[in-house]
Amino acid sequence: MASSLLHPAPPGRPGLRSRAARGSKLLALRREVAGALVSVAGLAGRPVRDGDRNVVGTVVEVVVRWDAGYSPVTGLIVRVGQRRTWLHIADIAAIEQSAVSLRSTRFDLRDVVRREGELLLLADVIDHQLVDVSGVQVVRASDLYLTRVNGAWRLVGVDISLSSLLRRSLPGGLGRRPSPSLVLDWSSVQPFGVPGGSVRLARSHSELRRMRSADLADLLASLGRAERRELLGGLEPGTAADALEEMNPRDLNDLLRDAPVEQAAELVAAMEADEAVEALREMPPEERDELLDAMTADRGAELEALLQYDEESAGGVMTSRLVRLPEHDTVRDAIEEIRRQVQEGETPAGVVVVDEHGALLDDIEFVELLGADPETPLSGLVGPPWPVTVGPDAALPEIVERMTDNRGSSLLVVDEANRPIGRILADDVVDLLARPGERRWPWQRSTGGAQ
Amino acid sequence: MTATLTPSPTRRRTRVRITLAALAAVVGPGLIAGLSDDDPAGITTYSVLGAGYGYKLLWVLTVSTIALILFQDLGARIGVVTGQGLTGLIRQRYGARAGVLSIAALGLANVGTTTAEFAGIAAGFQIFGVSRYISVPIAAALVSFLVLRGGFRGVERVLLALSAVFIAYIAAGFLAHPDWSAAFAGSVVPTMPSGRDEVLIATAVLGTTLAPWGLAFIQSYAVDKRLTPRELPLLRWDVITGAVLTGVIGFFVVIACAATMHAHGLVINDASDAAAALEPLAGRLASELFAAGLIGAALLAASILPLSTAYSVCDFAGRPAALNDSLAEAPLFYGTFALVTVTGVVLVLLPGVSLVPVLVGTQVINAVLLLPLLGYMSGIARDRRLMAEHTAPRAIAGVYWVAVAAITVCIAALGILSIHR
Repeated sequence: MASSLLHPAPPGRPGLRSRAARGSKLLALRREVAGALVSVAGLAGRPVRDGDRNVVGTVVEVVVRWDAGYSPVTGLIVRVGQRRTWLHIADIAAIEQSAVSLRSTRFDLRDVVRREGELLLLADVIDHQLVDVSGVQVVRASDLYLTRVNGAWRLVGVDISLSSLLRRSLPGGLGRRPSPSLVLDWSSVQPFGVPGGSVRLARSHSELRRMRSADLADLLASLGRAERRELLGGLEPGTAADALEEMNPRDLNDLLRDAPVEQAAELVAAMEADEAVEALREMPPEERDELLDAMTADRGAELEALLQYDEESAGGVMTSRLVRLPEHDTVRDAIEEIRRQVQEGETPAGVVVVDEHGALLDDIEFVELLGADPETPLSGLVGPPWPVTVGPDAALPEIVERMTDNRGSSLLVVDEANRPIGRILADDVVDLLARPGERRWPWQRSTGGAQ
Repeated sequence: MTATLTPSPTRRRTRVRITLAALAAVVGPGLIAGLSDDDPAGITTYSVLGAGYGYKLLWVLTVSTIALILFQDLGARIGVVTGQGLTGLIRQRYGARAGVLSIAALGLANVGTTTAEFAGIAAGFQIFGVSRYISVPIAAALVSFLVLRGGFRGVERVLLALSAVFIAYIAAGFLAHPDWSAAFAGSVVPTMPSGRDEVLIATAVLGTTLAPWGLAFIQSYAVDKRLTPRELPLLRWDVITGAVLTGVIGFFVVIACAATMHAHGLVINDASDAAAALEPLAGRLASELFAAGLIGAALLAASILPLSTAYSVCDFAGRPAALNDSLAEAPLFYGTFALVTVTGVVLVLLPGVSLVPVLVGTQVINAVLLLPLLGYMSGIARDRRLMAEHTAPRAIAGVYWVAVAAITVCIAALGILSIHR
């Protein structure tokens, strides 16, 4: 496959030194590879000749069908006189850099109809933002390369090099010649603007599984508004919510306020409660109420309640999702409950055991559960070390102090009647302590989504 | 939920804080872009306009300020709506050649303006008796170090405050007892510039007020501030405030110079001459006051310009541009930064270069290079695919095109007059 030959230079580094070392052999190979490719940008405006070599029109657009892997060319849009007409790939005998030739002299003038899943390469892809899924970066396509694979024309590579971009501004044939230098494999690129939706990242077996939430957050922050909306729309709410949790407050605020209310509400509802509250706090009150109203009643009420606490207090940073069980439940019940919450997208940090009045008895770590017989009642596991708790109004210094005292990964927040109302995780405290100083310019922005 | 019905004190406090934060979040792009226009090149150009031609060409400043409002507003709006930088967007909308043309124009204009900023630093320190061969390299090294180490934010406000010295021109303008009726007549009644020098200074006023870098800068600033389309009305007021402030300061620089220097037939040969306009206000300290303002404004602009250029180049090329990337990760970014800075320094240090012509000349170049950018911006404003419901209505787009046409005429006149000298 041509594109894999072209792939060795990692994106962002032209690898000048290594290229020189490999010498002229590679150069010759490169020239040969370039000869097998057709530059899509270079096809624009090229003549279309019929079977008798008469020019019947000029190329306006190259259309591919969007699918996994290497998209097949479905046809060209050709200008014939004043009219734009559709030319099916089956009518094309050859695509060369200098001209396109037809199979016969007969040539039907068909209207251009945009079909679902079809991508216009010149209008929608070249010079537009794309996501390089394997390199996890936002790039712009300088050129696209077609090649013939088993008798079918396919889109195989995306050139993102500056040199190819500059080459395209040269006049004449020089500007059209393929110059593959920094080429990404088309199958690992996410374009935008495909009618009918096309987010490669959304596929269940996609590269996304391997992509960290922080990387996804970073991609979302680097994209233009329309592109970001499209990418976000194609993600599963759970995946998207994980990424949003990693974004800095300003980017997140912009993203949520930009999305349709239902989508924003769905995303916020899927986020961890404490992160969701933090995001909601950044919003103007009317928009926040609008979002809360669009959620399910109990999720809305839960977040609403958390919003009542001062953001710098224990109540403001805790998550109110707890695995809370009465003391007579068994270890098996506890594990089932944990499993259920994990399936709902939560990440519980321990099992809170309460008495008949709902007052806290103990906070049991998962390790302890694993070591116990499934039929043991939870009351059997209650005992020292006793959980460390704070009140909902506790300020940051107190939280930090209690947490360092106990050396645990979390502490519980209880109300006046010692009823557990939430949990503060160590990472929430780290976030609080390391509040990012606001940076102003794009070039001063941290590249990690989570600041 | 009872909680919603009876807001607790905590909740009310949060509300107040958020409202203030919302306001603070929007204020900025227009104001900073506007104030940064009063850089050494701007002040010198306005001074030359006032000293050389009195009040009669003030209308050029009025027109430039209106154009500044129009296009800064457009730039900010494009940034907010598309979430993309100007050069990347031009490439996306108009293709590779247009992209190369606009980045070349912007790069050239920015190198010119950076040179002008270093010329300002040289001129400011010359008033204090420091040679430019010492002041300029040290200033360049200092600015680069601060910016690249991310310490720019800390000094940004100091520099902004320092450049606010130019507000002193407002007081100086009043104290100089200008001919107010002539000033106002000159501001609104166009008098056609006659002769090459008058067209040249008129073009420079346009180029320094509506600078190409300002357009790219306000757009990326709006993108980075993460303003949403909902904040567009507030943002518009911010832009108008910034632009009007620029115009007002420019106006007072011109009348202060017109009343003191033009009235006595003095001309500006170097920067310390320009300081003479502050004498009614500051007396013998006028030169020092002027020099401090010049240096502050120059350092501020010299910090922003190479950075803004590097950002535009990376945006155009689709390459990462962030200060916390290493040199190996973002060679294009740091390369552009270094190229712009070094070129600016070298041009100023060339022997025999006199600073005032450099300051004014670069602004003429700015005006010429402005044209393609304004054309592309006007086109983007009408693009429904990019701007959606924020597409400029036909009438507004007409105004943009009239402005572009007027600037074209101005530059064409300059070209013709230069040839037929």
